[in-house]
Amino acid sequence: MILAQVVLNGFLMGAVYALFSSGLTLIWGMMNVVNFAHGDFVMIAMYVAFVVFTALHLGPVFFVPAAAMLLFLLGVTVYFGLVRHVMRGPMLAQILGTFGLALVLRYATLWIFTANFVSLPENLLGDVVTFAGLRLEPSRVAAGIAALALTIGLHLLLTRTALGSRLLAVAEDRNAAMLVGIRPDPMQALAWGLGAACTGVAGALIALFFYISPLVGESLALIAFVVVCLGGFGSVPGALVAGLTIGVVESLTSFWIGPAFKDVVVFVLFLGVLWFRPQGLLGKA
Amino acid sequence: MSAQIAARALTRGVGNLVLGVLALAALLCWPLLVDNVFYQRIGALVMLSALSASAWNLVGGYAGQISIGHVLFFGCGAYASLLGYTWFEWAPMVGAPVGIALSLLLATIVGTPTLRLKGHYFSMATIALAELARIIVVNSPVLGGGVGVSGPALPRSMADLSFISPVPYYYIFGGVLAVLLLFTWQMSRSRMGYYLRAIRGQERAARSLGVPAPRFKLYALLVSAGFTSLAGSLYATMVGFVDPDSGFGILLSVKMVIAAALGGAGTLFGPLVGAALLVPLEEFTNAMFGGGGTGITYVVYGAIIVFISRFAPGGLAEILTRLQAWRARRAG
Amino acid sequence: MKITRRPLLAAPALMLAGRAQAQGAPIKVGTLLPLTGVAASAGNSAKAAIELAVELVNTPRPDLASMPLMATTGFPAIGGRPLEVVIADQQGSPSVAQNQALRLITQERVVALTNGYQSGLAQTASAIAERHGIPYVNGESVATNLTERGFRWFFRTTPIGPDIAAIYVEFLKAARIDGRPVSKIAIVNENTEYGTSIADVIRRTAEQGGISIELQIPYAANSADVSAQVLQLKGAQPDVVIFISYTSDAILYARTMRAQGYRPPILIGDNSGFSDDNFVQTAGDIAQGLINRSAFDPSRPGSNSFKINALYKARTGREMDDTTARMMQGFLVACDAINRAGSTQPAAIQAALRATDLSADQLMIGYRGVKFDDKGQNTKASVLLVQLRGREYVSVWPTETATAQLQLPYKGWE
Repeated sequence: MILAQVVLNGFLMGAVYALFSSGLTLIWGMMNVVNFAHGDFVMIAMYVAFVVFTALHLGPVFFVPAAAMLLFLLGVTVYFGLVRHVMRGPMLAQILGTFGLALVLRYATLWIFTANFVSLPENLLGDVVTFAGLRLEPSRVAAGIAALALTIGLHLLLTRTALGSRLLAVAEDRNAAMLVGIRPDPMQALAWGLGAACTGVAGALIALFFYISPLVGESLALIAFVVVCLGGFGSVPGALVAGLTIGVVESLTSFWIGPAFKDVVVFVLFLGVLWFRPQGLLGKA
Repeated sequence: MSAQIAARALTRGVGNLVLGVLALAALLCWPLLVDNVFYQRIGALVMLSALSASAWNLVGGYAGQISIGHVLFFGCGAYASLLGYTWFEWAPMVGAPVGIALSLLLATIVGTPTLRLKGHYFSMATIALAELARIIVVNSPVLGGGVGVSGPALPRSMADLSFISPVPYYYIFGGVLAVLLLFTWQMSRSRMGYYLRAIRGQERAARSLGVPAPRFKLYALLVSAGFTSLAGSLYATMVGFVDPDSGFGILLSVKMVIAAALGGAGTLFGPLVGAALLVPLEEFTNAMFGGGGTGITYVVYGAIIVFISRFAPGGLAEILTRLQAWRARRAG
Repeated sequence: MKITRRPLLAAPALMLAGRAQAQGAPIKVGTLLPLTGVAASAGNSAKAAIELAVELVNTPRPDLASMPLMATTGFPAIGGRPLEVVIADQQGSPSVAQNQALRLITQERVVALTNGYQSGLAQTASAIAERHGIPYVNGESVATNLTERGFRWFFRTTPIGPDIAAIYVEFLKAARIDGRPVSKIAIVNENTEYGTSIADVIRRTAEQGGISIELQIPYAANSADVSAQVLQLKGAQPDVVIFISYTSDAILYARTMRAQGYRPPILIGDNSGFSDDNFVQTAGDIAQGLINRSAFDPSRPGSNSFKINALYKARTGREMDDTTARMMQGFLVACDAINRAGSTQPAAIQAALRATDLSADQLMIGYRGVKFDDKGQNTKASVLLVQLRGREYVSVWPTETATAQLQLPYKGWE
C-alpha cells in the first residue's frame, strides 16, 4: 500500500515537473534559446498568486489566469527587450543575457517581498481525501490534471492549428518562413508569451502546495532543464513523458535507496538516455 | 600608395606593441601601485577567475563546445589539494598534480561520449556530470561530505603558500595565467587552432574535409581540464576551505562561462578582460549594497550583464571589432 | 569607487589607537551575514536584531539595565563613543566571506568582527581575522572544529554540537523513564554541513548513552518533494523522529506529513529551520507539539529575553528566533568586551574577551553565563527544550526552568 502511495506521489510530482517544463520546452525548442531565468518565471508566478490571494482575496479561479496573463506580458517584454537582440549573437550571449535576467528577477523580488518564506493556506482546494486507501491532496491532483490538459492543449495548438504551423515554420527556418510571408518577430514573441504563460499557470498551481520565496526558482530550474532535455527540445509530449518518469524515479529512489541519491539516479538516467539517444526521448533526430 | 598602407600598418603594429607593453607593465605593477589590501585581493581574484575562464575558453571558446560543467575539474583540483592535507598533511599545492591527473582521467572517460553530443545537449550533459560529482561528494563522508575540507588553519611553513598579503597570490595566479595564455596563443596559430575553429564553425564540414574532430575536441578538453583543475588547487590554497558548493557548485561553472562570454569567447584576452570587469563589479556592488540586505547587489550586477548581452551579444571583443571597423572605415 | 591610499598591514593597530582620541567618533564593529543566497531569510532576521542591538547600546535603556551597555550611551569606558555596525553580505560563499572580512578590517577599520553564520564561512572569515590580529566573536556556528584550530583571536558564545546532543539524549532517557518507548529513533537530516555534523554528534552521544539510532535519512535541503521519506518513516514507525532541517525543507516536511497523515509519538525538530519564524508562521499550525532546542525563551514576562523579543517584534512584526537571538548575543558580548577593554586596540579587546565573565542575568539569552576557555569556547553556554504551542514556543525541559508542562504525544494539526 505504501509503495502504491509512493508511486502515486511521484506521479503527481512528475506531472508538476512536466507542467513547469512545458513552457521551457516551447521556448527552447522553438527558438533554440536556453532560458536560464525559467525557474524565476515560476517564482514570479507564485508571487502573483500570493499577491492576488492576500491582497484581493481571490482564489485560484482568478489567480491562475492572472498569473498566466502577467507572465505572458513578461515573456513578450523579455523577447522584445532582450532575447531578440541576444539571438543575433552566439549561443553564449543567451546564457549571459538570461542568467543576468534571472538574477535581476530573483533579487528584485527579494527587494520587494524580503527573503521571508510565505505560503498560501494549505486547504484552498479542500482537505486531503482518502480514496481506496490512497491519500490525495486536491491541490496536487489539480496541478496534475492541469499539466495533462495544458500539455495536450499545447500539443494540439502546435500540430493542429494554422497558428501552430506558423510557429513551427518560423522555428524550422526563419528565412524560409519570411519568404512565404510569415513575419518571424511576432511569431517568436508569441512563442515566448505562450511559453511564459504556461510557466505562469504552473507557478500559480505549485503555489497551492509549495512554499514561496524569492529563491524557490533555483531548486526547480535544474529539474526543468533535465526534463526538457530528456524529453527532447521542443517536444511537448516529450516533456510530459520525461516529467512523469523523473517524478516516479525520484520518488522510488528516495523510498528505496535514500533521498540523498535520488538526483544521482535521475542524472545517471539522463546521461544514459543522452548517450544512447542524443536527441532525447521524443526529440527529432 | 602601397608604401602608405605599409607605413600605416607599421604604425598600427608599433601602436599595438606599445599598448601591449603598457598593459603588461600595468598588470605587473598594479598590486604595488595600489597599496590597499582589499583591492590587491580583488586583483588576485581577477587573475584566478581569468585563469579558469581562459581554461574554459579552450573548449568553450575556441572549439565552440559550451561546457557548463567545468566546475567538475575545478572541484577535483580544490579537493585534491585539501584532502592531501587532511589525509597526509601535505602542503596544499602538493595535491595539485593529483588533482590534475584525476581531472585528465575524468576528462578522458566522460569526454569521449559527451563530446559527441551537439549544442545544448552537450551543455546539459556537462551540467549533469558536474552535479553528479557534487552529489557524490556530499554523500561521501570520506571526502568531507557536506561539511567540506579545510587546509592548514595556521601556516606551518612557506610550502603551505599561506600569505597574509594577497600580493603573492596575485603573482602566482598571474604567472600560471601567463603560461596558459602563451599556450593558447601558440595553439591558436598551430594546426590545432585551425582545426578547432573549423569545428566551431561547421563541425560536419570540418569532418568531411578530414579534420579528426573528436580527437582534437578531446585534446582541447584535456588541456582545459588540467588548467581548470590547477585553478581549483590555487583557489583552495588561498581560501583554505572547500565544500561541495564552493568546489562543485553550478554557479561556478556559470561564472567561468560568463567571464569568457563577457570579454569575448574564442579570443586570447577575452576571458581576462571579462574577469577584470566581472570580479570587481561583483565585489564593489557587494561592498556598496550588500550590507543593506535588499539584494540590490545582484539586481545591479545582473542588470549590467543583461545590458552587455543586449548591446554587445558577442562580448566586449565585439565592441572592439566594431570600433576597429569604424576606425578603418574612417581612415580608409 | 575612489581608490583611497592607506598604509599597509603593519599599521592598523597603531592607526586605531591614534583615532581613539577623537571624541564622539563611532567605534565600528563588523558583522558578516548571509543576506543573499539560500540562507537569506536567516541573515535578514539577524540583520534586524543586530541593528536593534546597536540602537540599544547607543540609547540609554534603564529597563534593560541588568545587561551591560544598556543603561548608558555608547561605550561609557571609551568616552561614550557611539557604536556603529558595518554589515557585510557573505553571499553564502567561503571566498566572499574572506573578501568581506578583509574589507571590513582594512577598509572599514572595524575593531572586531562578529557572526558569519555557516560554520564553513565563519571558518574562512576568522582565518583572515586571525592573520590580521582582529578579534572575531561568533554567536551561532556550531561546528566543533571552529574552536579546535588553536586560534587566539576567535571566540564563540553559542553551545556547540556536543551540548546540543547531550540535552536531546538526557531528554530521551527521561522520557524512557516516564514509560514512553524510545527504542526506535530515526534521524532525518539535511546533508550539508549543519545537518551532517549535528546528526553525527547526536548519533554518537545517543549510542554512548545506550540509545541506538535505528534509521538515518540524509536528504538534500533543496528537494522539491519529500513525500517518499515521510512514507518511509510511516512504514518504519519509529518512536522518535529527529529532524535536522533548514527552513524550506522544514516547511515542506510539516506539510507533507500532514498530507500523508503521519505523526510520530515524539517529534523533535532541531533548531535552524524549525526555530525560524518563517516556519512557525507558515507551518506552525500543523506542527503542534513539536519539540525544539533553543537557548532563547522569551515566554517569561519581565526577563531580558521577553523584553528584547518585544522590542524586536515591534521593529519587525516577527518573533525573534533562537538563531537570531544567539547571533545578537554574540554581537553584544563583543561590544561589552570592547567597552571593558577601554580602548579600540585589538590586543586590549582580545584580553577583555578572555576575561569575560557574564552571569545569566546579564544576558538576553538563556545561557548560564559567558566565560571563554583557552580555546575561545563559551563554557557556560546551555540549551533548553521548547515545545510549539499555537504560534509560539514555550520552554518545557529541563523542568526546573520550564514555563509550561510538556505535552506528549505529538499532535501535529489537531
